[in-house]
Amino acid sequence: MSYFSLILKNPFRNKTRSALAIVGIAVGIATIVALGLVTGGLKAATSETLNAGGSDLTVTEANSNFMSGTIDESRVGELANISGVKNVAGVLRKTPIINTSVEGGFGSFSVNGIELDKLSVVDIEGVNGSLFSPGSNEIIIGKTAADSLDKKVGDTINLFGEDFTITGIFETGNIMYDGTAFTSLDTLQDITNSPGEVSTIYIQAQDDTNLTELSQTIENTYPNELSATSASALTDRINEGLSIIDSATWAISLLAIFIGGVGVINTMIMSVYERTREIGVLKAVGWRSRRILGMIMGESIVLTLIAAVVGTVLGILAAVAGLSFLGGEISPAYSLDVFLRGFLVAILVGVLGGIYPAYRASQLPPTEALRYE
Amino acid sequence: MNEHIIEIKDLKKRYDEGKIAALNGLDLKIKKGEFVSIMGPSGSGKSTLLNMIGALDVADEGTIKVAGIDLMKTKDLSQFRSQEIGFVFQMHNLIPNLNVLENVEIPMFENNLNSKQMQERALELLKAVGLEDKIRQTPNKLSGGERQRVAIARALVNHPSIILADEPTGSLDSKTGDIILKLLRDLHEQENVTLVMVTHEPYVAKMADRIVYVRDGKVYEEDDKID
Repeated sequence: MSYFSLILKNPFRNKTRSALAIVGIAVGIATIVALGLVTGGLKAATSETLNAGGSDLTVTEANSNFMSGTIDESRVGELANISGVKNVAGVLRKTPIINTSVEGGFGSFSVNGIELDKLSVVDIEGVNGSLFSPGSNEIIIGKTAADSLDKKVGDTINLFGEDFTITGIFETGNIMYDGTAFTSLDTLQDITNSPGEVSTIYIQAQDDTNLTELSQTIENTYPNELSATSASALTDRINEGLSIIDSATWAISLLAIFIGGVGVINTMIMSVYERTREIGVLKAVGWRSRRILGMIMGESIVLTLIAAVVGTVLGILAAVAGLSFLGGEISPAYSLDVFLRGFLVAILVGVLGGIYPAYRASQLPPTEALRYE
Repeated sequence: MNEHIIEIKDLKKRYDEGKIAALNGLDLKIKKGEFVSIMGPSGSGKSTLLNMIGALDVADEGTIKVAGIDLMKTKDLSQFRSQEIGFVFQMHNLIPNLNVLENVEIPMFENNLNSKQMQERALELLKAVGLEDKIRQTPNKLSGGERQRVAIARALVNHPSIILADEPTGSLDSKTGDIILKLLRDLHEQENVTLVMVTHEPYVAKMADRIVYVRDGKVYEEDDKID
């Protein structure tokens, strides 16, 4: 038998108590891992969504909520004439009242009006079926929306009091678009009584254009009217918001260290207390204090490492289940950083929780320990 | 003439903030290879004396030299306990979650031996105490006598120069007690190890080369059966 195998064996002398301690720590680790995976997944999805689109700049009404304002359609043509702009698409976005919710979309199901030749600006390169005809009640629908609404090519859908024929189904891989539908801009403006209005203008810039300068030019040309944001700037802004979750994860980590640490101290103190006589015997047979200290510390770390493994598995399951419950469009971001954080917290809990009981055991006077009943 | 392996002079130990004098100027010399029984009434200081010899406790005053080491001047006594002393307690004090073999291996952890060497030495001693067929049993599956035999094997595993036995037959029936005593005496002779045994039982004490009577923390009579 080796010293190491003794350390591995001892924590399981009282299986129930050890199991409870492991569960207590594992819940904390699972929370850290799950939040880390979800936050990472959200960041990756956001970045992918905002950067994957065919547009470089998103122009919205100044001082309005993102994508909820209105812009005069004439600005679309004007923006096309600004130096450095390659292509421009005005999109009117309206949210119809429908009975079925669309799972996995970016918010509620919306219908976008766009000129047929501008679809590439919103990343739609092709459809399963055919595109809509300008000015008609034809519509193409995203794969996520089609699945949720149980619609296929040739079906009709009633939107804003009018029946639309679904001519095609598209899939961009971008959660912002795949949960929506696109139709002719003229048609949507007519039936929603929004003549000459668009909600957002998407701009494709020429390759050598400085996006920050272009944004500035647009905002300076239309002060207090238009706001231009590049995809990367938007990503940064959203990531800034997500960093709050990161801070929350660290706060939870600290809480897990504290709660787990108290649990481990309790478990190890009880263990040392019950084994007082045994520790006296180990001293009597010549074990040095630091070997006893190492044994108890080792047992504490073994407990927390097992908790780290259990917690990591639980965390992954929770993240996968949580994200699939939200529609499954976002995948957990498996990164070494998240798992290392979980294991680091576990080891820290093991060391902090074990240090006092281990010190106490190592300092027990042998005669008193041997007399202990 | 044999040299003295234990030399104690004017040893004093007080407990309870000096109110209780467990050892009160005790003098004792024990020769290498000797078998000495220590007798005396409860509270006379027998076990305290044994603890002092085994460096489990430190005296307040006096001198105590064991195996050439001045225990009053040595700070870390764990190495001394590991190399020079083997303890046999009244209650076997085996570790319940370890099997017989592992219990005997425990004292060897400080000796820089590998697992194989530790196992070989433990098996050698378990064979000597007649437990080679029970090495994988845990203590709760053993009889009282078997447990005490494991404790004896554990005490001898590091080749100590002195075995300290505190009432080794105290928790056993007389027949099992006799077997344990015979085993202890045989091993003491075979391994040429000094045996110091605390006992209440006169017939047990008589098996020793010499009986030392302790009362009020002092040796008040020595019954030398050989010289």
